[in-house]
Amino acid sequence: MKPLDLGMIGNNSEESLQQILDNICAQFNLDYAAYAGVNTIDNSIHGVVNYPDAWKEHYVEQGFQDIDPTLAMAAKSVGVVDWTRLQKINGFRKVFCDASEFGIGSTGMTIPVRGPYGDRGMFSVVRSCSEAEWASLRKEIASGLQTHATLFHDRLMRNGRTMSAMRQPALSDREKEILQWIAAGKSQPDVGIILNISTRTVEVHLRSAREKLGALTTPQAVARAIGMGMIYPI
Amino acid sequence: MILVVDALNKHVHGGILDEMFRLRARVFGERLGWDVKIEDGREIDEFDHLDPAYVIGLDEDDNVVACVRALQTTGPHMLADVFSDILQGQAPLRSATLWESTRFCVDTDRLMMTGRGAGTVSLATCELMVGSLEYARASGIEDIITVIDPVMNRVLKRSDNAPYDYVGATVQMGKTKALAALLDCSEERIARVRAFAGIEGDVFVDEDALSARRALRAKAASMSGNLSTEVLQYLIEQLDAATTEHEVSAALALAEQLVGPGNEPSGKAVAAE
Repeated sequence: MKPLDLGMIGNNSEESLQQILDNICAQFNLDYAAYAGVNTIDNSIHGVVNYPDAWKEHYVEQGFQDIDPTLAMAAKSVGVVDWTRLQKINGFRKVFCDASEFGIGSTGMTIPVRGPYGDRGMFSVVRSCSEAEWASLRKEIASGLQTHATLFHDRLMRNGRTMSAMRQPALSDREKEILQWIAAGKSQPDVGIILNISTRTVEVHLRSAREKLGALTTPQAVARAIGMGMIYPI
Repeated sequence: MILVVDALNKHVHGGILDEMFRLRARVFGERLGWDVKIEDGREIDEFDHLDPAYVIGLDEDDNVVACVRALQTTGPHMLADVFSDILQGQAPLRSATLWESTRFCVDTDRLMMTGRGAGTVSLATCELMVGSLEYARASGIEDIITVIDPVMNRVLKRSDNAPYDYVGATVQMGKTKALAALLDCSEERIARVRAFAGIEGDVFVDEDALSARRALRAKAASMSGNLSTEVLQYLIEQLDAATTEHEVSAALALAEQLVGPGNEPSGKAVAAE
């Protein structure tokens, strides 16, 4: 995985956020990506898209945000919402008919994201291709996109001093212990043997630790955990 | 068959959700004696108001026989809050590819009464597991952390579906104990459970056909005796056998002629029966 946000920590300018969306599209073979989220604590709304400017203007001009089912419905789901599930809803045809005139396809999905304070977001991706191609692409990228969608959401929600103070990550002893052994140069199977747990258990705790630390890779998580004084540098 | 109900389709399946909340009241309130809030014979807690996803098992007559509830671990969920005893003061796992499953239960009374005994309980349990794992997997979820009692833990082990690990401790909860187990949503695990229970093909129900069948049954029940069970059975068979859109609408037209137009009853209407 590419370290998408290295060097951009804390930089939430629109250009850098769009750059992240561009990178995600390139990595996962997608045409466009869009994020929308609501911070329930300060009630701020965030939206970032990398759609062509002409479509963005048309979308706002037509007031599509009020009828777009990918916005209205998808955030309440738990699972990924494939847009085929939304086709029966009224707004879908109106929005996606126009979208196709701007070269934007209607095969896509929305990943709902939930944060610990009731904050919700959604990360939508679109790709013009046949249904068969989409089905296989979807299967391939769903897991990786889940992680990116949550990182993107957390990054925007962490914005502001109150939020970043509240979001001091809480790692369990197990998570810290595993990061400490990784920092000491042990591989994941090694850590499993040392702690007498399965490699899969090591992996599930590492994934959780990475996410709490806002890190995409394990080395990045180790660096942040050392920086925050959670584990010792060895 | 398995039905997934979430915030997007719950308005269509009100009757089924209502049956599910009653099943949960019987299992968690009565049988397991957990400290759950029951109102009007239904067990509903604060997490049910957070738009969870329900994976629901239905028997041949579309009755609810099993259910489980899924929530993302990135947002509010039970282990972070009400089940924190299990974690012994440790922070809960939080990952975009880890879901929490809670309120896993099977209607053993109904299955033992109508079915061929323990075999149907095991089959319903396995089908619900396959449905939950496949539903999670389709969203790119890699692992599930599930809060269960020791009996369910033994059922999982016996069904070639043993948890690969546990988190925290086993703690007393009501008449029984509760623990948190980890299950991977891998193809291998799904294949093992399918093979164990002899489940082949798609386990997910066709939502439109399900709604049509339930509407028919509700309508027939409300006619109290004016429609024989044979006619009802025939109409449902016609509906099930219909493969093309034309055949489905023909079957529905026939049903409408015989029993009149029907709608899925709301939760209240079912409760009143």
